[in-house]
Amino acid sequence: MAAALVREGVQSIAWTAVLPALLPALAALLLLALDAIVGPRRGGRWRDGLALGGLVVGLLAVVPLGGQARSTFCADVAGASAGTVTVACGFVASPLTLALQTLVLASALMCLLLALGQRRPRPGDAPDAPRTEHHLLLLVATSGACFLAGARDYATLAVAFETASLPVVGLVALRRDGRGVEAGLKLLLTAVLSFALLVLGVALVYASTGSLHLGARVNTALPDLGLVHGVGLALVVAGVAFKLSLVPFHAWTPDTYAGAPVPIAAFLATVSKVAGLTALVLVLAIGAPQLASSWSLLAGALAAVTMTVGNLVALRQRSAVRLLAWSTVAQAGWVVLPLAGAVSPHRVAAAATASIGYLLAYVAATLAAFAVVVVVAQWHPLGERHGLDAYDGLLRSRMVLGVVLGFALLCLAGLPPGVMGLVAKVVALRPVVGAHAWLLTSIAVLNVVLGVAVYLRWAVRLVAATGEPDTLREPVGALTAGSVPAAPAGTSGAAIGPTGTLGSERDGEADVRTGITVPHGVALLLGLAACVVLSVLPALVASPLG
Amino acid sequence: VSALLVLLLALPLGGALVLLLRPESWASRAAGQPDAVVRQVGLGASALTLAVALLTLTQRPWSTPDAVLEVDVPWIPGLGARLHLVLDGISAPLVVLTALLGLLVVVLVTSTSSSRRGSRGLVACLLAVEGGALATFTAADLVVFFVAFEVVLVPMWAVIRWWGDPHDEPGRREAATRFILFTAGGSVVLLLGLLLVASASGTTDVVELVRRQGDGMSGTVQLAAAVLLLIGLSVKVPVWPLHTWLPPAHTAAPTAGSVLLAGVLLKMGSYGMIRFVVPVVPDGFARVAPVLGALGVVGILWAGLACLVERDLKRLVAFSSVAHMGFVALGIASGTPQGLQGALFANVAHGVITSLLFVVAGGLKQRFGTADLRMLLTGAGGGLRDRLPRYGGMLVVGCIAGLGLPGLAGFWGEFLAVYGAWQADPVATGAPVWFWRALASLAVIGTVLAAAYLLRVLRLLWHGEVEGAAVTPAGYQRGGRTSPRQQDAHPHDEAEVRLDGSPDVELLHLPPGTASDAGHVSPTLLESGARAALHLPRDVRPVSARRRGDATTSETVVGLVLVVLSVVPGLLPWILLATTEPAVRHLLAVDRGFL
Repeated sequence: MAAALVREGVQSIAWTAVLPALLPALAALLLLALDAIVGPRRGGRWRDGLALGGLVVGLLAVVPLGGQARSTFCADVAGASAGTVTVACGFVASPLTLALQTLVLASALMCLLLALGQRRPRPGDAPDAPRTEHHLLLLVATSGACFLAGARDYATLAVAFETASLPVVGLVALRRDGRGVEAGLKLLLTAVLSFALLVLGVALVYASTGSLHLGARVNTALPDLGLVHGVGLALVVAGVAFKLSLVPFHAWTPDTYAGAPVPIAAFLATVSKVAGLTALVLVLAIGAPQLASSWSLLAGALAAVTMTVGNLVALRQRSAVRLLAWSTVAQAGWVVLPLAGAVSPHRVAAAATASIGYLLAYVAATLAAFAVVVVVAQWHPLGERHGLDAYDGLLRSRMVLGVVLGFALLCLAGLPPGVMGLVAKVVALRPVVGAHAWLLTSIAVLNVVLGVAVYLRWAVRLVAATGEPDTLREPVGALTAGSVPAAPAGTSGAAIGPTGTLGSERDGEADVRTGITVPHGVALLLGLAACVVLSVLPALVASPLG
Repeated sequence: VSALLVLLLALPLGGALVLLLRPESWASRAAGQPDAVVRQVGLGASALTLAVALLTLTQRPWSTPDAVLEVDVPWIPGLGARLHLVLDGISAPLVVLTALLGLLVVVLVTSTSSSRRGSRGLVACLLAVEGGALATFTAADLVVFFVAFEVVLVPMWAVIRWWGDPHDEPGRREAATRFILFTAGGSVVLLLGLLLVASASGTTDVVELVRRQGDGMSGTVQLAAAVLLLIGLSVKVPVWPLHTWLPPAHTAAPTAGSVLLAGVLLKMGSYGMIRFVVPVVPDGFARVAPVLGALGVVGILWAGLACLVERDLKRLVAFSSVAHMGFVALGIASGTPQGLQGALFANVAHGVITSLLFVVAGGLKQRFGTADLRMLLTGAGGGLRDRLPRYGGMLVVGCIAGLGLPGLAGFWGEFLAVYGAWQADPVATGAPVWFWRALASLAVIGTVLAAAYLLRVLRLLWHGEVEGAAVTPAGYQRGGRTSPRQQDAHPHDEAEVRLDGSPDVELLHLPPGTASDAGHVSPTLLESGARAALHLPRDVRPVSARRRGDATTSETVVGLVLVVLSVVPGLLPWILLATTEPAVRHLLAVDRGFL
């Protein structure tokens, strides 16, 4: 039936398979419609609800897809041997797709919660992002990352990848001050340059195989096409590496993280990285498993350089956001490390699974850490530029924040009680040890030690003597009364934040400032819950595809 | 699923969790007083753990080479790892030792308000260390072993970092950092070895791996795995030259931390070698064994020589740990049943004896603000025999047992280890007979060194003999930065006083002959003189300003328990040897019994 329709040029679309990726985009469209109907200055709560709803419904749409893989956007392509025809599909909802989509949607939800909990900026700060645009860009980027997870041809991959990338530039620049623009510009230049590389690579691959379908074989009729194919793949890898912040494509990372609003930095660190790894896994593990022995070397080199540079620079950082930025660089090395163990085609699946397992643990821990940084940036005099000393004695003064951050850092360092991080290290190292890549493993050992130093340097402050007692006098972990949930319908509803309490906050009531808003509280608890659950049941980290 | 085994791990870890999660724990920390909850939960959890550990003995682990208690449930299917715990003759002594030391350190901590910070976090950390160690000693799965091995890191780091030597903040920070970086690095190397074994053999179950005795793994893989595993575990043991984290850690750690560090943590390394290296990759191990044995002996001699000139009592005991663990390494390296039995015996004996010595050293340091041998003498106002008889008594038993006097616990383990090395199989290990016999002989020289340095301690502290000890507060001079070693080279020229309160380890030089009697130094004068000379801040208290009583009741009780345990296994060594023998024979796949 389906094949017959395809022959007639009619596409039958398996809507359920596309739904998780489509629903956030649909929510974005509704958001635009709402904006057109009620105007930009009203209905702030509806906008937030719509954005949250789009992500939650997308997440729910993943659930019934478990079980069998569904494919759509299929077409006939030339088979492996001459004269045969097989059906290749542009979008597949496989366990891999669903796992990555879940990760993307859940991370986006967390980042949205973090953004919604933000208060009105203080006088002198940059003005806040307009609500509609912010949610719109976030939803579209999320939708792109979800589509990317299901993409199985280079065209879908390239378009979805760009859909996941470019809106983030807008998100970064939306804060409309000097730092935001600079950060956005850096990201934009890198993204555009990378896209050029990606497209060039796709063109070369297409030239060598004659098909955009992932996994198409190189045309053996002409000589030297294998080389063209290899160069094309290398360019594609270079094009997607910037999203993972793999050294040497990482240069934009620290400045962009520091210049962006912290929730958007969290988005870059999680959703963007998931998209980056998705593209990498698609291109390498699904696109070219037969070349695994070659690209595993490339992955190993990237991983070794990335984790070492990231950890060494992170060791010297004084600002919390910058430390997290470099930490995400180092962690990206760990995420890619398992791919280096794919020295032969039959090891590819295990290596890619291990990568995604590590990614899962990394995303959970990083989101929890970012949640705390977002909250601390709210009340610290230096705002988002606050240093590590802002965390002195946090475990005593605000236990919930201290516990969440402490646990997240231990997970990132891979030390119990952060069992999740420890198991993730086991998972990441297993394919590499299985491949007997001893040079790479010794670099990884060095980086475990460096990582412990990086994260403990921060964690130790949670219990350290307090430097500035006046900023930490808030009672432990309470959701204070002054912290109104985000976005009561107010007169200036176009901005993110509890506009209703604007007046009292402007008067400098420090106690109100040090409270935790409800979305932030939810995000903190979700982050902690994810880390704790994964630490108690680490089985999910080892087999993330279910 | 054995409920006893589950309880054994759940009690200490649960106790730690309860203590940590009670919100007032952080509020009450500043108070510095042990609160009632700490006492109840801490003592309750650790006492129950000990009870459970003793109850496991009713399963008669000495009667069979196999596990008498077992837990085996799925855990991480993606890694092929199961939550597999067993208790057999090899685990049992270490489990009981750990549970006992766990109770003793909680008693020590809850009975004294020794630290500026509250003791709740400290007790929680100690319980977590205990739980992690118990999990390590019962793990029968490579991944479970690794996770359990890592559990102790952060709590122990916290113990050193925050409850360590209150006089030396930079020192304890550096010691804690060094501890966690060294041991975390070692753990990853260990992990690589474990993963190599898992990937080469296709299973992570140690019971199965022991049954296979390395079948199915090529010689190269076995060698690589043995090297990785031994390097990783050697950091923890520690084997020379990977021991450099230990002396600072011991010096900075509080007494309870030192006791667990020496009595429990180090054992995790040697236990890992016995259960996860020797029987799992036997061919690879045999090829590395000569190196391990040689390093063990180097450690024995090196640490013995260091102890001869070491002036800080805690560092001295720490170095003596390196020496004792050198015997353990030698015994394991021999690959003989006797050697392994000796290593297991020495493990337990060292745990008891060193704990006893650390109780004394820690108590003295707490009272006098220093563990420097001469300063202690000045502070105590003479030999411990007369002034502080309880500490003195414990010190004598600890030292005598530590130097391996027959009839005390220290003797049998080291005797068997040396005997095992003498008997080592030259064919399997690829090292000639003379090599092993030379190692055994050198190890015996090490016991002579042990006698020399421990008797030196006794001469100084117990008798109170110090050369040129003429001290008055009148003659203070500002000292240069001379290292203790250099000073020790000519002790008759001048007696010097080291103040631990000063960050740079400054020395006060006292001209000889200017004073009357070391026993009559006025604490007030000494203190004010020291302050003036060193510009010390008020809260840093030099020697003699502290309470100078003898051991408290709880310290005495703890000490007595440890004294009894230093004596009983020495008189009745078969208790331990018979427990470990069947399991050791099973590990080595040898039929002939030793006893």
